[in-house]
Amino acid sequence: MSAPQPASRLRRLALVAPEGRKIVLGILLIVLVLFGQQLYGRATAYWRLDPTLRDASGPRNVVVVLDFMPDRFHGERVSQYGVFAGRDGALNRIRLRNVSPDSLARLAGVAWVARIEPLP
Amino acid sequence: MSIATIPPGPAGHPQARRTLHQVVWRLLPLAPFAFVVLAWAAYWTIAQPTAATLPAVHDVVAAVWDLAAKGELATHVLASLWRLLLGALLGILTGVIGGFVVGLNRSVSAFLSPLIVFFNAISGIVWLPLVIGWLGIGTALAVFLIWNTVFFIVFQNTVLGVQLVPQVFEQGVQALGGGRWETIRSVILPGALPYILTGVRSGLGFGWRALIAAELVGATTGLGQMIFGATEFHRSDIIIGGCLIIGTIAMAMDRWLLLPIERRTIERWGLVFDATKEK
Amino acid sequence: MSMVSATSASTGLSRPASGPAIVWRQLRAFRILLPFVALVGVWWAIYASADFSPQVLVSPLAVWRAFVNLVTHGVMAEYASTSLRMIGFATALSLIVGVPIGFAVGVNRYAAHTLESFLRFLQGISGIAWLPLAIIWFGFSHTTTLVIVIYTLIVPIIFNTMIGVRAIPETYTLALRSLGASRLRLVRDVYLPGALPSIVVGLRLGMGYGWRALIAAEMLVRQGGLGDLIFGARTFGQIDRIMTGMIVIGCLYIVVDRLIVQPIENLTVAHWGALRQ
Repeated sequence: MSAPQPASRLRRLALVAPEGRKIVLGILLIVLVLFGQQLYGRATAYWRLDPTLRDASGPRNVVVVLDFMPDRFHGERVSQYGVFAGRDGALNRIRLRNVSPDSLARLAGVAWVARIEPLP
Repeated sequence: MSIATIPPGPAGHPQARRTLHQVVWRLLPLAPFAFVVLAWAAYWTIAQPTAATLPAVHDVVAAVWDLAAKGELATHVLASLWRLLLGALLGILTGVIGGFVVGLNRSVSAFLSPLIVFFNAISGIVWLPLVIGWLGIGTALAVFLIWNTVFFIVFQNTVLGVQLVPQVFEQGVQALGGGRWETIRSVILPGALPYILTGVRSGLGFGWRALIAAELVGATTGLGQMIFGATEFHRSDIIIGGCLIIGTIAMAMDRWLLLPIERRTIERWGLVFDATKEK
Repeated sequence: MSMVSATSASTGLSRPASGPAIVWRQLRAFRILLPFVALVGVWWAIYASADFSPQVLVSPLAVWRAFVNLVTHGVMAEYASTSLRMIGFATALSLIVGVPIGFAVGVNRYAAHTLESFLRFLQGISGIAWLPLAIIWFGFSHTTTLVIVIYTLIVPIIFNTMIGVRAIPETYTLALRSLGASRLRLVRDVYLPGALPSIVVGLRLGMGYGWRALIAAEMLVRQGGLGDLIFGARTFGQIDRIMTGMIVIGCLYIVVDRLIVQPIENLTVAHWGALRQ
């Protein structure tokens, strides 16, 4: 194929540009759906943890506080981070025992958790 | 649409050779089916899987025969076909009429276009959880889902067909003194017909698939229900038999009912049409 | 599948952003949103006109609230991600496996003729019909869903790749071969570009089938995903959740189909479409 003339190159670019924009927008939206909430959760993880828990060195017992009445879905997800130990008074306060520092860090990154308090 | 309908004839060969070639050409499409059956039988003999995992070929045949003898098979097939017929007829009628009404009016079609695109995106089985609450399990649900599937395909193709009729033809009829109805009847209808028929053919294919999916979840009879019900009892022979029947009906419907209709109508109206555009 | 609109000036050339052009573009977004606003209005009117039980119809506001809830509670993100990952993975696998098969079959006229009817038959047995068998083999797991979606995707891809390859005029392949081109060179310079528009059409078709099959499979397998979400909501009669789920399903499909796959299709046809003439 011969080298494209400058005029046809511009024309080709003009044809490509609107389609390219759509593709970029589409990919951005999909990435937002896939990772948006996760990234938000990780960005705000620091404030989710109670100050006393922020330098956890060993396994801790915590109360996971939610802003809403949880479904079974939320109970299942939270239980992955530690040993489920019942409610802490209200239905939206979940007790977890033996949460390793690693799990605690990951739990703090969950966007729909309101805050994590220590279990006395 | 066939990739190559004319078998390549070797030039300069005697008549007998060419006929043999044509016969072989005709038989070739059967080869993959035969291969699958043979491989299946071979695997079964060698590996001896459990009946639930992979039944023997003769088991499947026996199961289908058994169902046919008991009359159950006929019940299921007729139930499914009946639902397809109802839903498809409704879908085609509403699709064509709606397509004409919308297609003839450019501003209306431009306005409705985003809505159509959206509802097409959720057409079919996605409506099931919602509609099952309105219509319950059974024929009404299946007919709704088929109507939904067929309508959008036929509608879109009709609008496309109507709008693609070259304006010069419409103007020609009007110049000769024809009114609106005359224009529609003699120019737009024949012009849009190939697209409509492609839509019908495509819609029926989708509709059959949607029907099976609907019956899997929400029916008491029908082929989809037959194979899903068999899951509970691990009757793989019924399941495989059912799937093969589903495929056969789909193929038979397409090749011996729809394709000839489409071809003959196009031949009759003598319109050139790109048959590779399957929506 | 957009309808032909006389108003869409499809010259394909977009002007550099200037005052009037920006207004035109914003008007276009408005024109896309207006029908939906009208629809919501009609919906509201219907809802307000009679006393519907919440099992039959809910107000648009209730659906919005359900959406906000599902998002803030993290439910929507997870279920939507499951579905998206599944379709993405299935698409990638189907392309990797399907396109080479399509090529291998397409280059030989006899192979193509042999497999054509078989592929059509497989397509007639939609992926969903195989779901019961897949459940027996793989149980109620993600593997089951993946197998079904791949099956649904791969058949149109193989078929269309085959068609694409067969549609390449023999003069091109013969010309390059007479110049001494290797097989690989042929694939790269003639087959791949020549078949690409058809492959992308097959991909788009397959993804349409595949997304539907995915939702249906998720409804039955119930291991996460949007199909699971709306079917599960049915058990509790949560119409607001069901409708939210349906809207999200539609929107996600439109984003993937219109903003990603269709532009790719347009680009390949524009770039290489001339080869098919």
